[in-house]
Formats: sequence, structure tokens, C-alpha cells
Amino acid sequence: MAMAMQSTSLVGEEFVMGFRKQTVWSTWIALAFFFGKIGSGIFIFAVLLDLPLVALAGVLIENVGKGGALMVHLGRPERFWRAASRPSTSWIARTVWSMGIFTVISVIYLLLPAASPFLGFFKTIAIISAVVVAIVDGFVMNDSPAIPLWNSAMIPFLFLLYTLLSGTSIFLFLIKAGWVSANTLINFETLAITLLLLNLIGVAIYLLSILNTNAAARESLWLLIKGPYAAMFFLFVVVIGFVITLSLTLILANPGMLVVGLILLADLIGHFFIFYLILLAGVYAPVLGKLTI
Amino acid sequence: MARLGMVVDLKRCVGCNACTVACKSENGTPPDIFFTKVLEQVAGQYPIVKKKFVPVLCNHCQDAPCVRVCPTGATHKLENGVVLVDYDKCIGCKACVVSCPYKNRALMPKGKLNGGHFKGYLTPFEQVKNKKFQEGVVVKCTFCNERVEQGLEPSCVNTCPAEARVFGDLHDPESKVSRLIRQRGGMQPMSEANTDPSVYYLE
Repeated sequence: MAMAMQSTSLVGEEFVMGFRKQTVWSTWIALAFFFGKIGSGIFIFAVLLDLPLVALAGVLIENVGKGGALMVHLGRPERFWRAASRPSTSWIARTVWSMGIFTVISVIYLLLPAASPFLGFFKTIAIISAVVVAIVDGFVMNDSPAIPLWNSAMIPFLFLLYTLLSGTSIFLFLIKAGWVSANTLINFETLAITLLLLNLIGVAIYLLSILNTNAAARESLWLLIKGPYAAMFFLFVVVIGFVITLSLTLILANPGMLVVGLILLADLIGHFFIFYLILLAGVYAPVLGKLTI
Repeated sequence: MARLGMVVDLKRCVGCNACTVACKSENGTPPDIFFTKVLEQVAGQYPIVKKKFVPVLCNHCQDAPCVRVCPTGATHKLENGVVLVDYDKCIGCKACVVSCPYKNRALMPKGKLNGGHFKGYLTPFEQVKNKKFQEGVVVKCTFCNERVEQGLEPSCVNTCPAEARVFGDLHDPESKVSRLIRQRGGMQPMSEANTDPSVYYLE
């Protein structure tokens, strides 16, 4: 930890050499990623539990929530259709394609009659397409070599973990609230604890790996854990997102609806803020190396 | 085929920012949007202090990440290596901004073209220049493509009083840029990013 985790030489728009923060991807992109993971998580578990209405809610969250946030983010939303033009090289184009394919497949699956021989096939590819939609955003973020904090192989993996965790937390709440019937094949409480611990380990490995990347990545890490975003990071991500959720899930053997609602809320807060803060803490390295005498 | 590029001699640059002003004048960019600028770097402690000026601009990389990540093809590369943005195709997703290792792209935010340098009043010069921009899209240095097509040098090169900027064909071994790179060991900025920039620096 001794290596370069000291004060930052971050600069703004002034004409001096130094590390610069990215400012163009922030709230709306964070919301798009958030809704993308939540929609996919809900859809995956709803399909596994054969709950078509809840699955439809997942599709709607994916399209209205994520799609809407992306539209607001665009500088020229009226040209959004052009974003599908180059899937051969652009992960944003692949996102658009994967969302379209996911929507078509899921709608076909939801419209199929229960006795249809194609139901199993469409169920499988609907789940696969939902997983693809969940992690493709991770590749969009990961495909920014300019910002070492994002350019990590752990990012798509974290997207997958958070997708599964949000789906689990939401279903745990829906079951406790009695809005959906519990499935004996999936123990959501055990799954939630497992995923929470996996997420904690995943986030820790990701942050530790950043230390060994380069100076710009360490500046980002400084912003997150000691700099201006440290308060938000520790409050929303560490305390609310991990400590409260894990404590409530581990300590209470059979939590009631109110407690599960609190766990869900804490989980969603931690979920949103971790990616929001990672976006905000993105730092570019200086064009030329440090001047020395 | 020619590959247009630039050599920036850091020993010659005096940090006057004449290139910055010439670029603003040539392109008519709105306030706070610069296609080129001169960054300062200071090292040491008084009285032993060293200062360096580093002009920066779009590097027109041969393996440009901005071209790769653009979902619409708005960011494209010409045969002569110049990377341009087609404003009619750009959707303003800003993927190119976060993929450019040099942070040499800018967003033209909504309302930017109405403000001007004199709050609420657009000079006749601004009215003319603003017509070629669009709001909500990404803008960047064009290597003064319109001037180069007429056989002229980019405005920043033409203006530099210290001749710190040299423009030419990197594929021509006898061009001034090629000779300078060969003789003085020109280095590409952030070569570790593997973008093969067309801008070289001499120290």
C-alpha cells in the first residue's frame, strides 16, 4: 500500500500536466448499468421460477429503465438507431444488439403457450440472452483503455455477480412479501449470503488489482478510498452495501418482510453507488511522464 | 499513400499558446473547447526549478481506439491517416471521449453554440463559425483538414513563432518530419497504449 497511495496530483481543465478525471460518463450511464443488471437479474430468476409476469417486469425494466437512461445520456437521442451500426468493433453497438435480441427472445418465450414444444428451447436462450445483456455493459466499461480503473477484466465479472445478487435480493423480498410463491429448489436466503460474500471478495480483488495497474489507476483508487468520493464509498458501498446487508442476512435466522425489505434497499443502494463511484473516479494518465530534475 | 503527422519540438516550445489562439481562430470553437492547447509542467523547488511546455492535440492515431469504439462510424479515418468526426452520424454517446488515452476530445454540450464568448451575444465571426458545429456531438482537432486539402499547413503549425510544430508526411523518408524523428529520436506519447499516434515529440 505504500506505493503511490499518497496525495493526488489531479488537475481540472487548466493548462497544466497531470491526472484528469473523466466527466462525460456519470449519472445516466450509472443508472443504465443499474437498471440493466436489475432487469436481467429479475428476468433470470423469474424464468427459472416460471413467473411470466415478473419476467415481463424484468424486460420492461431493461428496456424502459436502461434504454431510457441511455437515451437521456445521448447527446443526439433522435439518432439512437445509428448505435447499432458497428457491432464488429463497438461494444456499445453490441449492447444495442444484445438488448434487441434479448427483448425479441423474451417476448417470444412469454407468448408461447405452456404446451409448446419450443418452450424449453426459448427458456434456455432467453436466460442466456439475459446473462449476455447483463455482462455486455461490463465490456462497454472495460473497453476504455484510457481509464485504467475501468480497463479491468474484473468489471464484467462484477456485473454478472451484481446481476445475480440483485435478482436474488428482489426475489427474497417478493417471497417474504407473499407476492410470489417460494420455490423449494432455490434457497434464496443461502443464495443471497453466498452472492454477498462473493461480491465482497470480487470487489476486494478488483480494488487490490487496481493497486498493481498504473499510476492513473492508483489515482482513481485514491479518489475512491481517501479522496472526495471516500465518504460516499464507505457509507453507501461498504457500510450499507456490504456491512448492513451481510449483518442482517447472517444474524437474523428467519427475517421478516420489513428486514428483508431493508436488506433489499441496502443492497440496491450499494449496488448503484459502487458503479456510480467507479465511473466518477475514472482518471486519465498524463500525456507525458512526470518531469524530473 | 501519405500519412500526415506532426512533430512537436519541446525544446523549441516557449509556451506562448499562439497555437491555441490560432486554432481557436481557425476553427471558431466555443468557449472552453480547445482542439489544441499547451500544458505546463513544473518540477523541483525554488531556486532549482524546471518548467516544460507540452503542446497537445488529437494524435490522429493509426490504431485509434476512438474509431474502434464508435458505434455509428461517425469517427472515421481518412486514407491520409487523419481521424475525423462526421457530426451528422455522431449520437453523442461519448464512448470515444472515454476511450481516447490523451483526452483530446470534447463534447459540444447543449446550448454551447448560443452562448458565445460574450455572454448572450454572438459576434458575426461566431455566427459563421458556429454553423459548422452541432450541439450534442463530440468534436476534436481535424489537423485543419480543409487547409491541408488546399496545400496549406495546419493553423497551429503556421502560427508557431518558434517553429516548434512541424507538419508533413510520415511515410516520406525525406520529409522534414521523418528526418526530425530519425535524427532526434522522436517519441510517440503514451506508446504503451499501442495506438500508434501520428504526433511525435522531440526532447
